[in-house]
Amino acid sequence: MKIRRTRTAATIAAAAACALVLSSCSSGATPSDTPTGDTATTGAAPMEDVTLTVTTFGTMGLDELYKQYETDNPNITINATNIDTGGNALIDWQTKQAAGAGLPDVQAVEEGWLSKVMQVSDSFTDLRDHGANDIKDRWVPWKVDQATDADSRIIGYGTDIGPQGICFNGTLLKEAGLAEDREGFAALLGGENATWEKFFEVGRQYKEKTGKAWYDQSGFLWNSMVNQLPEGYYKADGTLNVKDNQALKDNWLLLADAAKDGLSSNQSQWDWGGGKAFVDGSFATFVCPAWMLGIVKGQVEAGGGDATSGWDFADVYPGGAANWGGTFLTVPTTSKHPEEAAKLAAWLSDTPQEVAAFQAAGTFPSVLDAQSDPGVTGANELSKFFNDSPLGEILGKRAQGVEAQYKGVDDSVIQEQVFGPSIQELDSGKADGPTSWDNAMKLLDTVVS
Amino acid sequence: MHVSTVERSRPRQPLTRRQRLSRADVRYSPYLYVAPFFVLFALVGLFPLLYTFVVSLNDWNLLTGPGEWVGLANFQRELTDPLFWNSIFNTFSIFLLSSIPQLIAAVAIAAVLDTNLRAKSFWRLSIIVPYVVTPVAVALIFSNVFGEKYGLVNNALQYFGADPIMWKTETLPSHLAIASMVNWRWTGYNALILLAAMQAVPRDLYESAAIDGAGAVRRFRSITIPSIRPTMIFVIITATIGGLQIFTEPKLFNASSSVPGGPQRQYQTTVLYLWDLAFNRQQFGRAAAVAWILFLLIVAIGLINFQISRTISTSATKKSRQTKRKAVA
Repeated sequence: MKIRRTRTAATIAAAAACALVLSSCSSGATPSDTPTGDTATTGAAPMEDVTLTVTTFGTMGLDELYKQYETDNPNITINATNIDTGGNALIDWQTKQAAGAGLPDVQAVEEGWLSKVMQVSDSFTDLRDHGANDIKDRWVPWKVDQATDADSRIIGYGTDIGPQGICFNGTLLKEAGLAEDREGFAALLGGENATWEKFFEVGRQYKEKTGKAWYDQSGFLWNSMVNQLPEGYYKADGTLNVKDNQALKDNWLLLADAAKDGLSSNQSQWDWGGGKAFVDGSFATFVCPAWMLGIVKGQVEAGGGDATSGWDFADVYPGGAANWGGTFLTVPTTSKHPEEAAKLAAWLSDTPQEVAAFQAAGTFPSVLDAQSDPGVTGANELSKFFNDSPLGEILGKRAQGVEAQYKGVDDSVIQEQVFGPSIQELDSGKADGPTSWDNAMKLLDTVVS
Repeated sequence: MHVSTVERSRPRQPLTRRQRLSRADVRYSPYLYVAPFFVLFALVGLFPLLYTFVVSLNDWNLLTGPGEWVGLANFQRELTDPLFWNSIFNTFSIFLLSSIPQLIAAVAIAAVLDTNLRAKSFWRLSIIVPYVVTPVAVALIFSNVFGEKYGLVNNALQYFGADPIMWKTETLPSHLAIASMVNWRWTGYNALILLAAMQAVPRDLYESAAIDGAGAVRRFRSITIPSIRPTMIFVIITATIGGLQIFTEPKLFNASSSVPGGPQRQYQTTVLYLWDLAFNRQQFGRAAAVAWILFLLIVAIGLINFQISRTISTSATKKSRQTKRKAVA
């Protein structure tokens, strides 16, 4: 009895805290909630010893930079906690935010949960009080727009962004008799004027010649299609904009047709058969935001492939520029040292540091000067893997023209829980376009109300 | 000792400080000794339980905090929500698919272990090994094995020319897959508990039955099963509590799914639904209501189990009395 009860209690508590993966139990649950303010009571002496806690996630490439900052500022000690994935970091942040305690001085926030953060944007320090207006020109403008709340408060400094291009497998395209080089491939999709219609049209040609799928699964495409609209699931005034959103429905039917024609390989996203799907020719193209490039490399290698597997990265994206993901550094108002924390966040998101982070972890900088820095545009491990594609240069171009779309409260819930099930219906052939759209609308009434 | 005899001879004398202390010690200390449990229980058991109830009466958002007082509206909302009932169905389906085969297998394994085996300890230890592995690891491994496109099971099926089974996107296959995880982990544990009960059965009963000509199967049915009934009830109750609160296995079975518990919520159990409500949809009040409904459900089922076990144990003692009487006659 006792053992069983312990197990269930532990299951709920622990699993809720470390939802996704094994390792998170050790890394995610350690709160760094004791900023030792031993000298805080002695008043604001100029060289007061300050300990700053920082919570980041994934691979942000900041570890070496903390040391440098500590050397440059001897009165600062940085206590950094890194959580394995963005999903677990969200749970960590949400729990502490809800509890009203335990938040660090500098909290990394992912674009995907920005709509949640904006609900409580007043619990983040307005960085304009700490000089945000003086430095805001360093970022691509839409990155600053994303971090600006409804009251024009700037609550985050941008670190990386996720401008999207298309990864494609040159070897597979060659077998199908299509252009195999990246310029040719980009031209095939329409170059600057690439559209989703064109993308699917080329996909149908490919399918006809090889009998194989064109892309891995429809979810990531749908993500982009929604983000490219001027208004997505919400109107700019904050009202829900799904049922009567004709542009949204048109895109849905377009995607449904592609899936019906077998262009989707119906893979499990984030799994891809442990990477095997990337090397066995299951699909020839893949949606690639900047941070996805490292994931693709990892998947190909996990699947037993290497640089010769044919993957390449092209300067083209159907439907125009699009961004997916990216991170901000914020300063929760619970911080006892907002001034120092804001200074650290500003420093970490400055040009040299973003270049260093890119070289350490492949996070593509949101700072304009860093984007054109030779350290970013030059060749590296990753670009060698992608057939010597000039990744930094392409991503810099792909970052132009993105617009920050208004994200409502339940944006991510609608994306995942309302359209997610219908995407799966499309990919597995369980329902056609109109039916799956209707199913999504029914779910919308149940889930978001 | 000497002091106390002296004092007892003078009963009217008011007690000294030491004596009063000693008397208080005898009277109150036992409560202090048991207090840690109750203090802890009140802190981590009772308080959260009551607080959850308070939360469930509010329109409580995880991030923005308590909203309006809504009374029992959250309960009403959940009891009419198709997704809630879907989760209840999934929970019971997985529970039945896991508990029934699990108990049958556990009894069978225990019966085999109860015979005169060589290397007894080795066999007993080996069946508990799955229990040592954390559920997270089990879920990750099984999730891989049951992969739809690249999993071991479907590869084997395709090798023999059968159609692959959609383990992660269809209801019954996914329930079977998750039940198999639960079974893998808990069968050995239950078998050991049942084995302990079996070993407590007096051996002379078996011997006399054997002399009377009862075969192995008959002895098992007429002696072993009735004797281990109370333990069976215990195992069933714990399995019920555990089964109704299943979370890790369905959560990690398809960890990357955008909806926890399968794309169309095919295996979203109630606790997973509750978690999703609280942490993805931020409906903290409704999640608290679901927690309370689940709590009441488990209490109800526990009471039913208790009632059944009482009926069985009384009928069992009646029977044993009858057999004794017969033996006397």
